[in-house]
Amino acid sequence: MIQNQSRWMWMALLVAALGCSRGSGVDVAVSVNDDNDATTPTAAREGTSGVTSESKGIIGFSALTLTNPFFTIIADHLTEEGAKHGYEVIVDDANRDVKSQSEQIDTYITRGAAAIVINPCDRLSIGPAIKKANDAGIPVFTSDLQCVAEDVKITGHVGTDNFGGGKLAGEAMIEALGEAGGKVLVLHFEQAQSCVLRVGGFKEVIDAYNTEREEEKIEVVAELDGGGLRDEGFKATSAAIQSDPDITGIFAINDPSALGAYAALEQAGKADQVKIVAFDGQIDGKQAIKDGKIYADPIQFPDRMGRITMQNIVKYLNGEDFEQITLIPTELYRKADADKDPELN
Amino acid sequence: MRKFLSHYGVIFVLVLLCAYYSFATLNQQHPADANTGRKLASFVIQQMPNANVLIAVRDSDDDRVFAEAIRQSLGGASIQPVGIVAGEPRDIVVELRRMGDAGTKLDAIVTHHASAQWTVLGEARLKELANEYPSLANVQVLKPSSYTWPTFLTRGNLLSIGNQVAVTAIIAIAMTMVIITAGIDLSVGSLMALSGVLAAWTIHRIVGEGDPSMMTLTAACFTAILLSAVIGLLTGVMVTAFDIPAFIVTLAVMRIARGLAYKVADGPSPIAIESEAFHSLSAGNLLGIPNPVLLMVALYVLAYILMSHTALGRYIYAVGGNPEAARLSGVPVKRVLLFVYAICGALAGLGGVMEASLFSVGNPNSGVGYELQIIAAVVVGGTSLMGGKGKVIGTLIGALILAVISNGMYLTKVDSYTQMIVFGTLILIAVLLDQLKTRRWKP
Repeated sequence: MIQNQSRWMWMALLVAALGCSRGSGVDVAVSVNDDNDATTPTAAREGTSGVTSESKGIIGFSALTLTNPFFTIIADHLTEEGAKHGYEVIVDDANRDVKSQSEQIDTYITRGAAAIVINPCDRLSIGPAIKKANDAGIPVFTSDLQCVAEDVKITGHVGTDNFGGGKLAGEAMIEALGEAGGKVLVLHFEQAQSCVLRVGGFKEVIDAYNTEREEEKIEVVAELDGGGLRDEGFKATSAAIQSDPDITGIFAINDPSALGAYAALEQAGKADQVKIVAFDGQIDGKQAIKDGKIYADPIQFPDRMGRITMQNIVKYLNGEDFEQITLIPTELYRKADADKDPELN
Repeated sequence: MRKFLSHYGVIFVLVLLCAYYSFATLNQQHPADANTGRKLASFVIQQMPNANVLIAVRDSDDDRVFAEAIRQSLGGASIQPVGIVAGEPRDIVVELRRMGDAGTKLDAIVTHHASAQWTVLGEARLKELANEYPSLANVQVLKPSSYTWPTFLTRGNLLSIGNQVAVTAIIAIAMTMVIITAGIDLSVGSLMALSGVLAAWTIHRIVGEGDPSMMTLTAACFTAILLSAVIGLLTGVMVTAFDIPAFIVTLAVMRIARGLAYKVADGPSPIAIESEAFHSLSAGNLLGIPNPVLLMVALYVLAYILMSHTALGRYIYAVGGNPEAARLSGVPVKRVLLFVYAICGALAGLGGVMEASLFSVGNPNSGVGYELQIIAAVVVGGTSLMGGKGKVIGTLIGALILAVISNGMYLTKVDSYTQMIVFGTLILIAVLLDQLKTRRWKP
């Protein structure tokens, strides 16, 4: 038995070894790219399977997660804009796992991608995978989330102006609470740098507001981890209204955790006394604004994010200059906007 | 023959999968090594001996080797390239404009497929530049010819499969032993995280921000692995001394270890490890074979010898087959169980250190869901969850099957939702086959 087994193993290894030993010993072909047809191109394009000869190359996109519509919108617009310029975009779901994302980046390198786009699953530990792409000479673009690992080269980044968005959220909160001021709960997600910026901007505006007045200030009474998720937001808010029953405002760093917070308030019968300001402007969030569950959202533009990223890639490959870091400003979206929004019912 | 098939069918599955993905990824390959560079250069020497040549490649070590080979070969025929660019598309434009401004006549740009794909070297863009600068009016782009070969079977891809499978496969060795004793260990993923974080934390404790010495690294890794082994041993004690089902004990340990990992890391952010030496443990290679793969092979050889040629190996099978009979015939059942859980902890710890080394961080979030991947590899490899039957080599094949499918699906652009369905189905099929096998041949 063991004999047979090892024989098969050897055959498998042999096949593998054959794969490794190819790769050199190739004739030279010339591809002529100008109109002067001095040398005939050889069979460079014959026998190609899969890739159409029209394609200018492939671009890999490893999304943070495709279970969040925000990232599928980025993916869709990358793909659409890519097709316009003759690039085929491969979309993969990293499922928030650095290891999966690293494997996907490896695959893009293997397939000889013209460029790689990622929403880094971790701003530090994705570094070595990006380094590999750097070493292979393939440009890496980040979208939405940034990478802060040392010694890696990020060719371009397009994201949201999260700090500015946080300030807008702060203004919305002041507007929502009116002259009375009150106690505010922040549903944080400290793991994400983007959320740290949002809360930073939010607090800057609230602090500036408070210095102008003696009383009826807005006080941030708690910052809890809402995980950016509906169930975590629900849990955190349920706990917070036990310890601070008189809170009047909640700032949640995204729509799902805001909706979780709303469910908790509803259960405790406090939905009317607390105003929620969220962030994102996904379809669920917009609907909740229309239904009066959320007061307002600074909304992000994942569609622009996808398009601008692709335009940057095209410019890069064409040897043109482009903004290395583009931060797209958010816009405040209130009930009045939601009532006019044709996307909602 | 039937028996052979039932035992080693998984190998056929693996070979079939490899064959399938080789066929499905049959594609144009674009060589760009030193040898190819020399051939390209000799083409230039023969066809255009007096040409002004610009060499344009990307800013990478491999590309520089390619460019240098071209430069040397051309130099042998006393052709001096008018320029060499190793950089981004923009750098080529800058270089071309410089030549245009200086009026340097350029006949050919020598490059490889990847850079030739850049639109900057495309027809439209070059024509634009030609209109601007007369000396660039007649530029050809030369690149090595391509050949057809499965992307799946390229050296880079096979190495990347090996790297991806190593950690899972190593922990799966111990998981196979645990499952053969009719147990299970759900804590391995969390133990990996704990071990990685512990290693990182220890390094920081000893040297702070500085570059750790070899001694420090070894000490940190051993501490982490040893502690994981101790936790595994404690799991074993709970299972043997108090007769609690392994499923429940390890479920609890899974939560405890994950919590400890967050505690040690002081939150969800990873602890960085700034050490080239530590990184090279996972990222380095010996004679072109990545270290994790070498370690994996070595451990499988050891495990094979242990399971097939030692008394301990026979004991492990005996305990899983029928613990009562084993006890009566003098097998130290409890000590055997303690051993397998301790080994499982130790190998999970080793896996954690390897992951930490690969990503240069101790990440308390790492290893989530690994226990399921590892159990899947064991089950696909033909080990029965009922205990008493199974082979470590089967587990290696099982892990490879899962890795090959994952890799192949990426290469053939299968979307991630479908991937989940495929993996789930695969596990069902493996268990189903196990059931059928038991019924038909062991009534």
